Amino acid sequence: MKKYFFKLNLSQLVFLGLVIAIKIILGRFSVGPELVKVGLGFIGSVALGYFFGPIWGAVGGGVSDLVSSALFGNQGGFFIGFTLTAMLGPMIYGFFFYEQPRKIWRIVVATVTVTFLVNILLNTIWLHLLYKVNFQVAFNARILKNLIVPWLQMIIIYFVLDGLSRVKTRMNKLEKSRM
Amino acid sequence: MDPRGKIIATFLFIFVIFLANNWQSYLIVTFFTLLSIYFTKLKVKMFWDGVKPLLGLILFTSLLQLFFAPSGKIYWQWWIFSISTMGTVNAIYIFLRFSLIILISTVMTLTTMPLEIAAAFEWIMSPLKIFKVPVAEISLIMSIALRFVPTLFDQTVKIMNAQRARGADFSSGNLIQRIKAIVPLLVPLFINSLEVAIDLATAMESRGYRSSEGRTRYRTLAWSKYDLYNLGFFMTLTILLMVFRRY
Repeated sequence: MKKYFFKLNLSQLVFLGLVIAIKIILGRFSVGPELVKVGLGFIGSVALGYFFGPIWGAVGGGVSDLVSSALFGNQGGFFIGFTLTAMLGPMIYGFFFYEQPRKIWRIVVATVTVTFLVNILLNTIWLHLLYKVNFQVAFNARILKNLIVPWLQMIIIYFVLDGLSRVKTRMNKLEKSRM
Repeated sequence: MDPRGKIIATFLFIFVIFLANNWQSYLIVTFFTLLSIYFTKLKVKMFWDGVKPLLGLILFTSLLQLFFAPSGKIYWQWWIFSISTMGTVNAIYIFLRFSLIILISTVMTLTTMPLEIAAAFEWIMSPLKIFKVPVAEISLIMSIALRFVPTLFDQTVKIMNAQRARGADFSSGNLIQRIKAIVPLLVPLFINSLEVAIDLATAMESRGYRSSEGRTRYRTLAWSKYDLYNLGFFMTLTILLMVFRRY
């Protein structure tokens, strides 16, 4: 647990700010056919967890939710629950990907955990609390979409982690030269 | 009006709307929401634009409620679908609740600058200092993210065009090909921001930035008399709801 609590130096702090900005921008894009559109925001979450670990990743996720609601308005009303779920995603990715080798099982387990815990369970609970929607009904409606999307996400994460590892090597090199 | 007041009011509105549980109280909340929309003096179309992207979700949720949660007298039934008195009423309530929460949030975002909202968030987070949360650092991150969203957005478009010019294709091919096409977009974007981060950090340090503690503020927020009106308006709403709700 100890290795996740560390102080960021200024350039890391600024980079965290920029990764959050990237996450917000990616959140506005999506890929895939019309029926199962996959938003790209989760790539930002993966990057946050991968670069900064679960704790700072969670901070980044929370800030990204606040900043995007400040810039674009909050979809579905302003509610602290959605900020919490935005924090949880990068946190889980951080536990699985931060300073860990890229393994297929890590990608699968992380994606499934995030999908179930965050997208299906928690977000349904928030909707239930916010709008008094029948829990069972909203839950079933959500499961349908979340049966397909995670598989696409896993493939994307597999390729993206490869790209991110190249960025990370560059990051360590630049950090060293700056010291 | 002070952004802190507006954010707190928006936040509390979501809790206050839970108090509404019969048609009188819903009428009151709707009236107050429309009143605050009127006071913003903005065009109705701007609010419509706020609701439009979510209209599908709102309708979907209300319809689910309408068809799948029967209670009370049943009017019409077919297979697993049924329309009942309570189901209809609940569907209408959910529709209203959804739209009102979105409308109030839209009022907040339309009438407040992003920078002001960020400053207000910082103020609201400041009690977290007790738990050793690095609030000053977080607000620095927040302002950097806010400042760089437009810049990086331009970058993204530029990188996309640059890759397109060399034959990259983001919108055709099978799914795997499309997914693979994202990587040449992401890596330059991250490397680019890494360089920006290093440069910006160097620039900040050379201008005497040491840590987020022990600094003064150039942009400050000030409470005004309108915030008192806002508070009064809100208190009236809460009291009216308490009186008219069904216990």
